[in-house]
Amino acid sequence: MPLPFIFPEEQAVNSSTKEPGAQKSQADLLFEAQQRKQNRFRINVILSWISLLLFLIFLFSGVEIKSTNGVTQISTWRFRTLTENDRKIRKKVEFPMASINVGLPGEGVSLKTIIVDSEFIQANLDFVASGIIETIRISVFSILFAMTLAMLAALGRLSSNPFIYALSTFYVSLIRGTPLYLQIFFFFLALPQLGIVLSGLRAGVLALGLNYGAYMSETFRAGLASVGKGQREAAVALGMTPLQTMRRIVLPQALRFAIPPMGNDFISMTKDSALVSATGFVHELMWRATKVGRAEFRNMEALVMAAIFYWIMTLILTSGQSWLETRLARGDR
Amino acid sequence: MDPIIKISNLDKYFGMLHVLKDVSLEILPREVVCLIGRSGSGKSTLLRCINFLEEPSHGTIEVDNVKVEATGKGREHRQQIHDLRLKTGMVFQEFNLFPHMSVLQNVIEGPVTVKGMNKGEAIALAEESLDSVGMLFKKDEYPNRLSGGQKQRIAIARALTMQPKVMLFDEPTSALDPELIGEVLNVMKKVAKDGMTMLVVTHEMGFAREVADRVIVMAEGELIEDSKPDDLFRAPKDPRTKALIDRYRSGEG
Repeated sequence: MPLPFIFPEEQAVNSSTKEPGAQKSQADLLFEAQQRKQNRFRINVILSWISLLLFLIFLFSGVEIKSTNGVTQISTWRFRTLTENDRKIRKKVEFPMASINVGLPGEGVSLKTIIVDSEFIQANLDFVASGIIETIRISVFSILFAMTLAMLAALGRLSSNPFIYALSTFYVSLIRGTPLYLQIFFFFLALPQLGIVLSGLRAGVLALGLNYGAYMSETFRAGLASVGKGQREAAVALGMTPLQTMRRIVLPQALRFAIPPMGNDFISMTKDSALVSATGFVHELMWRATKVGRAEFRNMEALVMAAIFYWIMTLILTSGQSWLETRLARGDR
Repeated sequence: MDPIIKISNLDKYFGMLHVLKDVSLEILPREVVCLIGRSGSGKSTLLRCINFLEEPSHGTIEVDNVKVEATGKGREHRQQIHDLRLKTGMVFQEFNLFPHMSVLQNVIEGPVTVKGMNKGEAIALAEESLDSVGMLFKKDEYPNRLSGGQKQRIAIARALTMQPKVMLFDEPTSALDPELIGEVLNVMKKVAKDGMTMLVVTHEMGFAREVADRVIVMAEGELIEDSKPDDLFRAPKDPRTKALIDRYRSGEG
């Protein structure tokens, strides 16, 4: 029964008139094979990620594995508040979980993972987490300030006025030549000597904005350079003034080019906002983590908490950025 | 009839290089003039000087009673250049459509931004000129999705929508695949037929012969020959013109 269906198709292939259906199916097969390979790779990457994550969780789980006399014991350690001699103290307590009559190779082998004070984490989670809002606030203010400066510096770099050109290169050189940490302290601690007292937040935003503005001006410059000379000529030939040419033709194209790298800058700025905690007056993630960590000597727990929050924030921002990137790429270029 | 384009004693230097040597040229309204010559002969520079895309070093340019001195300066001079650019439409070798705008946006950009025309009026005008180059059906498309020939036809529509007095074409078909050249030349013939004054820098001898009223030959920054196409192709006076035409003939096979 299937023969009559197959036969005419093969005939079509043999008779040199090219049958598009036959060709396409071969290309399709190749494409599918390639797709399968890619999918398999992607799945394996995801599985590896999950295993690495599980390993990291295990590393902080407080699990202990001991092997003595042909018996393997598994237990977890936890911090507990105990009352001893009418005094409350925090102690590591062992909770046996399982005992197996199989010895591990080597006598007296033991594996102990890191013990995390989960009670401390529970008690301070809200306090640390509420720093996220402040972190986002600093980042958003700073990035807006930085973008404005970067744009001006990049345009200054294109200027034929020697003073404006010098001003923009001077700014970029000075800021890139000094540490961000120093700049934050300068605005917070040095300016009061001149009678200018800035709040920690303002000093931080000023320093972050100035710093990232200098770096991002290079991104903007590349964006402006990516717009060909022909575009300007076409605009000028239509009778546009230099300002109209910049606003209507050059800037929209330059921005499109510069937005993805600017997303990267925003992500790294979110993390660098942690430096603002050094002023001691901006209650963002890092400040809160170090405060509670020091108070109870639980720095590891506190920093791990902050690290997780930073990581989640950057994960969200990164996925947002790659969404933006594909959207711009797909667009009208 | 008074000439619509009047170029007098134009000189252009690029550094030490003397690219245009005392060039004078008059073009009458509705005339179609082709500028031919080997590359480096200064023909593109001459064209680009007419709307001050290239600033001439000496001489004057006059288009439709707007007269600009090359050596002028200041606010008034800039205003004159602006007026000059409104009198001229330009079509580039590389099309130079704005990639971030749709076809329709490309065409209304000039009237709206430069002339301050209201959008509805500009769209009506733009659709009319897109229709005349046969590209109205692509008005919502973005330039990167079009062929070179289609892009160039839209670039012509964009220039026409500004309702210029003269059209300048700078090698409009040189960046095109051979099979796309015809559609652009056909649009240009149509523009010529509608009575537009045209100055065309081109290597398309066939077009020059068929459509041009005059063909001007340039070499080393000078106009070496200026005659009716039939005369030029039949009996070139200058040996350099003869060489140029022979090369075209042998290329034609």
